Amino acid sequence: MEVEDIDEIDLNQMKDKEIVIPGEVLSEDLTNFTPGRGTTKQGNKIISLFVGLKVIRKNYINVIPLRGIYTPTEGDKVIGVIIDKNPVKWKLDINARNFGILKPSNTVARTQKFRKGRPERVYETTEKFSVGDVLIVKITQADRLHHPELTTQGKYLGKRHSGKLIEIPPPKIPRIIGRKGSMINLLKEMTNCNIFVTQNGRIWIQGDNFEKEMLLIDTIHKIETEAHTSGLTDRIKDFIINEKTIRGIN
Amino acid sequence: MSLLIKDESPEKLIGEDGKRLDGRDLNELRSIKMEVGVIPNADGSAYIEWGGNKIYAAVYGPREVHPRHDARPDRGILRTFYRMTTFSVSERKRPAPGRREKEISMVIKNAIEPVLFLELYPDSVVEVFIEVISADGGTRCACTAVAILALADAGIPMKGLITAVAAGKVDGKIIIDCSGDEDKSGEADLPCAISWYNNQIALLQFDGIMDLKEFDKSIDQILEALEKIRKLQEEALKKRYIDVRDHLKNYNPKVVTTNNIEEKIDSNNQKNQNGGDQT
Repeated sequence: MEVEDIDEIDLNQMKDKEIVIPGEVLSEDLTNFTPGRGTTKQGNKIISLFVGLKVIRKNYINVIPLRGIYTPTEGDKVIGVIIDKNPVKWKLDINARNFGILKPSNTVARTQKFRKGRPERVYETTEKFSVGDVLIVKITQADRLHHPELTTQGKYLGKRHSGKLIEIPPPKIPRIIGRKGSMINLLKEMTNCNIFVTQNGRIWIQGDNFEKEMLLIDTIHKIETEAHTSGLTDRIKDFIINEKTIRGIN
Repeated sequence: MSLLIKDESPEKLIGEDGKRLDGRDLNELRSIKMEVGVIPNADGSAYIEWGGNKIYAAVYGPREVHPRHDARPDRGILRTFYRMTTFSVSERKRPAPGRREKEISMVIKNAIEPVLFLELYPDSVVEVFIEVISADGGTRCACTAVAILALADAGIPMKGLITAVAAGKVDGKIIIDCSGDEDKSGEADLPCAISWYNNQIALLQFDGIMDLKEFDKSIDQILEALEKIRKLQEEALKKRYIDVRDHLKNYNPKVVTTNNIEEKIDSNNQKNQNGGDQT
């Protein structure tokens, strides 16, 4: 499975960063620093907007929030659960503030019938998926005022027939992936599971057996609680080795 | 044996030694304990124990607005629900929201709304549910303080925190942080909240009789007290994450081998046997 390529500030290499709270003054030096993500200018000070980690990159001061909701962005692959359907569209819970809309014309078409060498028009209905199905979808259109439009046409997209779905806070997803995918590759190698991580805080996993899947779920929850600490990848490696011996997994 | 709790207030609220009924000085706060992230199913939550007050706050959202005609296309809306449980006061409180609860909900909402960046979430709503489990005077101040903590925990962008405390007048003297008895039989009550990003008043209500000098004096004392409460709020927000770090500082992994496991199992069995003998 492919992992989303994310432009995220490198959290793995840095040491324990300062935890800041809303309204905390990050800097009063506006000549050398510019307010970046998660910050704002208040008078001649730069203040934080979130509970998060203070990260300085070049002359930008950023705050990476530790909790928050997912904001749909065009081109993101996300995992959705169908919550409602009618004859012309499905409504998907994508863990954002609005539900996403999937239309049958944006799904993979059924085999087309040909009559006299020309394709016969196929009327698409919403019979294909039912309420409760788990789909990996791509966001084709998203803005602040409309419901996001989704599609299942593309690589790795479509319905998942098996596996497990878990949810963590969306800001902690970059830690599951790690720098250039280091953490997720470690998880894949050591537990021998298929993992699909998406930006809306959902992770789909499928392993050889139940024990391995449970080990992976426990590991992900451990990463979630320790997301703001340094030296995480090494600690997780030790954890998996230890747990494998204790649980008797080869 | 009667289980009725008498709801009588004493005649004198300040003793001869100049201390209050619960042994506090005139400008002394009650003990305050705050915690963040107490409700796992909420997007953000907080809990406060302020003297006899015990209050939970939970934040949900930003999410879709229902009914849809309440939605604003240019900004998100904030809904605040202040509720008291039936057992929170000495005489049973009827569970339906009354005039007082609606008022306090509105007052808290108006205090908090200006510091939030709700324009980032048009067509959506952020809902704050504040549940008073036990009430002992000054709940609106405690609720304002705990609601902002829950919102910060939920990751809603905000300019800064809000802190609140009440001053009062009892036996002709100005006091800070009125308890339940002092609230009921005092001469005046002055709850006040400050938003720290611009140092302006976010909430100010007044009830009773006080002259202007006393008013100025009480505002000065309120400002002093608010600084102390603000520090507690900041600590509570950071504590959730710092605790995990401190726990990991002494991280010293022991690689478990199969021999170790057998030892562990043996020792566990022995412990169980010993425990069984004792009982």
